[in-house]
Amino acid sequence: MINPFEDFKDFQTEARALPLDRLAPAHDEAMAALTSGYTKLVEQEVKSLVWFVEHNRVIEAYTVACEVIRGLDYDGQHIEEFCYQLESGTAMPYLISGPAGIYISALCNHVPEDDMVLRLRHMQRQMHFLGYRLPHGKTLRIEGDTGNFTGAALNGGQLIVAGSSGDWAGAGMTEGKITIVKNCGRNTGEWMQGGEIWVGGRIHGLGRSVSGRIYQAGDPVTGRER
Amino acid sequence: MSTEDGEERQVPAEQAAALRRTLERVWPLVRRRHLFPELPSPRLGSSTSRVAMEIREKQITLNLDYAAEISRLIPAETVLTALLDHAVSHYTCCPWDLTTHLRLYARAKDILGDADQARKATDLFMDVVANTHAVKERQSPLPSLYRHAPRDHADEILCCLFENIWGMDLGAKDHRAEVRRLSAIPYLDKRRWPASLTRFIRGIRPLLEDAQAEAAQDQSGMGGHGFRQYRAEEIEQALREFAKEVDSPQKFVEIFEDIQNDLQASGHCDLEGMGYGKGCPVDANWLYYMKLAENYALPVKKIPMRDSGNLHPHSHRPWEIGQPVREVDPWSSFGKYLPGITQIWERREGEIFGVKEKTPDCLIIIDSSGSMVDPRARLSHAVLGAGCAADAYLRNDARVAVYNFSDAPAGGREHLPFTKSRALLYRVLCRYFGGGTALDLPEITGLVRDTEADIFLITDMQITNLDHTIARLSALHNRVTAVHVGKKPGALRFIKAAKRTPNISVFGVEKPADIPRIVLGSVRSYLAGGKAKKKIVEEPAYWSWTKVPPRRK
Amino acid sequence: MTTTNGTHLQTVRELYDFIQSRLYFNRPDLRLNGTAYNSSLLLNLLTAVLGGKSLIIGEPGLGKTTAAEYVGALFYRLPVGTLWASEVAGHPEQTEEKIIGRPDLGKLNQGQEEVVWSNFVQLPVKIVDEINRLPETKQSMILDGVDRGKWEYLNEIIINDEYCLFATANYQDRGTNTIIAPLLDRFDVTVESRYPGPSYAFLISQRQEKEKLLRHPELEGELQAALRSRLLPEERRTRLAAISEAFGAFLGESFGLTTLDGQGRQELRRQVLSMPLNQDGNAFTRTLLAELSFCHRHGQKRSNEICDEGCHYTGYLCHRLLNCASNRLPVSVTNYSKALAWFAGADSVSLEEIRAVAPYCLAHRAQWTEAHLSLRQQDRRNDPFHVYLARQAINEVYQRYSEQADHVKEALGRAYRIFQGEGLEPVAGDHPIYAEIRKDLNLEE
Repeated sequence: MINPFEDFKDFQTEARALPLDRLAPAHDEAMAALTSGYTKLVEQEVKSLVWFVEHNRVIEAYTVACEVIRGLDYDGQHIEEFCYQLESGTAMPYLISGPAGIYISALCNHVPEDDMVLRLRHMQRQMHFLGYRLPHGKTLRIEGDTGNFTGAALNGGQLIVAGSSGDWAGAGMTEGKITIVKNCGRNTGEWMQGGEIWVGGRIHGLGRSVSGRIYQAGDPVTGRER
Repeated sequence: MSTEDGEERQVPAEQAAALRRTLERVWPLVRRRHLFPELPSPRLGSSTSRVAMEIREKQITLNLDYAAEISRLIPAETVLTALLDHAVSHYTCCPWDLTTHLRLYARAKDILGDADQARKATDLFMDVVANTHAVKERQSPLPSLYRHAPRDHADEILCCLFENIWGMDLGAKDHRAEVRRLSAIPYLDKRRWPASLTRFIRGIRPLLEDAQAEAAQDQSGMGGHGFRQYRAEEIEQALREFAKEVDSPQKFVEIFEDIQNDLQASGHCDLEGMGYGKGCPVDANWLYYMKLAENYALPVKKIPMRDSGNLHPHSHRPWEIGQPVREVDPWSSFGKYLPGITQIWERREGEIFGVKEKTPDCLIIIDSSGSMVDPRARLSHAVLGAGCAADAYLRNDARVAVYNFSDAPAGGREHLPFTKSRALLYRVLCRYFGGGTALDLPEITGLVRDTEADIFLITDMQITNLDHTIARLSALHNRVTAVHVGKKPGALRFIKAAKRTPNISVFGVEKPADIPRIVLGSVRSYLAGGKAKKKIVEEPAYWSWTKVPPRRK
Repeated sequence: MTTTNGTHLQTVRELYDFIQSRLYFNRPDLRLNGTAYNSSLLLNLLTAVLGGKSLIIGEPGLGKTTAAEYVGALFYRLPVGTLWASEVAGHPEQTEEKIIGRPDLGKLNQGQEEVVWSNFVQLPVKIVDEINRLPETKQSMILDGVDRGKWEYLNEIIINDEYCLFATANYQDRGTNTIIAPLLDRFDVTVESRYPGPSYAFLISQRQEKEKLLRHPELEGELQAALRSRLLPEERRTRLAAISEAFGAFLGESFGLTTLDGQGRQELRRQVLSMPLNQDGNAFTRTLLAELSFCHRHGQKRSNEICDEGCHYTGYLCHRLLNCASNRLPVSVTNYSKALAWFAGADSVSLEEIRAVAPYCLAHRAQWTEAHLSLRQQDRRNDPFHVYLARQAINEVYQRYSEQADHVKEALGRAYRIFQGEGLEPVAGDHPIYAEIRKDLNLEE
């Protein structure tokens, strides 16, 4: 039978191979992997029916997040892109502030770079738990506002928020430094075990800290002791 | 990229002539590489601006001074080829047409909120896409041009980006941090352009803000890609498609007002369905509904054909013994009765033009009380349906009147007498009073007395003087179609009354989005055949593709 | 008389220039590679070159028949008067005897059958005026004959070595029979003989003597005598060739024109049809055909099947069409694009020639849905409505093709290898061409 494609047997593409041909699909792959990890986390959380902020639940969610991201290949750009992708999605997986923040924090804590910037200034929603358990040696700069529990359980890292944060900033942090350029909400430093919180603007309310130092506009403020 | 010192230089005549000859030589080759786009031959012309080219209504004009300047660094053939590759790629790849351009611009405007920034961002994005397409798919020497042409800050960033994504050394300064976010965007995937543009804007936002703060040059070195590069037919088509795509009239109005100056400057903007004349202000609200309604075109009534009632000799067939000799054609038979020679006439009834009924005029009564949607704020399906009906009647050479009412006795009404002006009709249709709901019945019935006009009533039936309305409409001889939204008590009374009156049809829709479909269905059935004054109209025929000639009965 | 360089291109171009400057005045409306041509004249000339069938439409009195007469007269070296005598007029009373042939009446009275063939059948240039007014049986008879070059009457057959058909049709006509779709499909191209504009129209009124330029009463008489003579077919052919040679000499002496004899024309046709298509032209044609006949739901387009809304391929042409493209369409497109490329002096047929020619080949074959017709009816255009619709459709396919040209060609290249037995996966894509390739390779979708 005659081959109807005979005329194209010698076809050679004249298109140039560009680095873009590799960069874009690699990015998509990384994003797909991050999305898949987040979906697994949310599915896990959904089993418990309700997401609520309770110490053990948060730890459990973080543990699951660390497991699902193990072996993933990504960098800071991917994390930032993932934040926006979550926000703009209307179907699952979409942004659920608590689990999303835990997941992002897990990603930030395990990213190869020690210095990272997340430009979240143009996000409409703020995520909670950003900077959760940021370890020693890591610096995370967030441009934009953050939600509640910013820098909770900070573990020696440097967290800078070039914006305002919500309530419970620095809750349960053990060491390290949180810098919030603008204002922060209530219960700042609740259960703080050590480290520093610097707030450039106004602190709306202090939590009951065990130890550590909190500064407002350069001046130290006293945390209520337990 | 711009001429180094920004000063105008007079290009020597010899050099200009040489460049023109080179342009004539390279253009066919560029066209071939780009798969023969339908563009007029480009020109070289002097310009007071520093940009490399200008595109107006598909005409590409390269800046002679710019080309001459760069030709001192690299061969003229390379310069001109690269510039043409850039221009043609805008036409053949991104944005390709005005619809895509508007889509991208609207997305950019959503993100940035500022028209100038949105334009700049869209231009830069389109430049990256077009250039990358040219380099990857069309073997363009653009990298040579970028390597040697002078650059400002924005061009430096772009150059650095190009170095990353093309894998070529263009001599750009190190802006790796800025371009990292921009390097993994799938620029050549058209389906993902909106999302890619969003990511692109996030990446270049600081650049846009700096450029605005410094009131920097308002065009990239390659030239801005305004909305003047499109032709009239493209603009009409694009607005039609864009009206369908946007989710609210406000969005359409916002974008249209941003580009209106460009369109008016090129003379493609006037009221009457985007005809061509300068200086006519266009209300974008009406234009939105006009363009949206064009997507729902109904066919024009055809001239019916009918049998003539007379048999005429149609064709020959061989005579067989036993068939009547009366029908034998003696001339074709050469006077012989012989098998194979004798021919008999086959007679058929001919077809002649039937009687085309004149399309009656149409009165549209539209409710714009507070309970109806404000057509300027959100898509009003009532206005859209009314517009579709109006267009259908106009296209069939009938006139349309509009009675837009809210609390009519209190003055909340606007009435347009029978007219064929599309713009005026939409002006009145789009009017929104937002008050109570009452009709001025004597006024309405006065409009249609002694006419056979069809009446379309679009309302939510929360009419204060509903019973009188029902009585008055029932007394008319005109065909009345009432479309209401939801099951209101008034609707049930209307339906009950309509059952007794053969000329009134009532349709209820669950969702306002069904109004255009219902209205068009009624219009279609009215135009297909109905009672109206009969009138013979002589009009040209056109081929009927599937028509089989009539057989003799 | 043949050209010394053997390519005949210059000859044909001179004919075009001569007709355009002396006989048929009209505006150029077809641009190719920077040169503008008049579509009606050019496509009719290419019809003569290829031996095709051209349907010429237009308002009454705008030179539909005269364009065909000039082209036929010059290309085939026949005086215009002879062509006038051989034209078939479209009216319902036309008979087979007037169109094809009749018995020799004298011999019939003696009980013998001998056919006197009509001029229409004998001459290579066949012009039918107002073909839409003929009954469909006569239309079919003419088109069947021109399809094969074979005419039959009373069990006698005459075969044309070369032939071309020019059929005209008015827009406005009362009591018009229509040309039904299967017959329309037989035509290669539809061209419109347009209004030339006031200046050219005025020029035509000033140059009425042009009607006589291609007349030659003496040779016309000889031709008529030869056509009616009782010579054996071979002898008649030789006689006709000699007379047309004489007319060719007349054209050379009077206007300096070089014309082609039968052998030259055959050689010319071979040259034209041997023009290769480049890969883009080839792939674009396949892409166009894919969109015209594809149906995801029903396997192929069929006139009696309705396309549903919500099909994945709603954005493609198949959604707006009612019928399937016939196999004659690619024949017309490739032949005419080869002729056009040859005429323009190209080495191969590219996408440009195919885009230029395809609207004229598709216009009369595509049956569009009512919704599409009404949506486009109000568009601003220069072409007749159906040519405009075809042009818009082809532009859309061109856009889609140019976005993915390499991908399509790669798909076709890989399909070659799969067809040869290599265990590769076919290239995937959104366009119907990829689905059609899978079907060609007998793979499940």
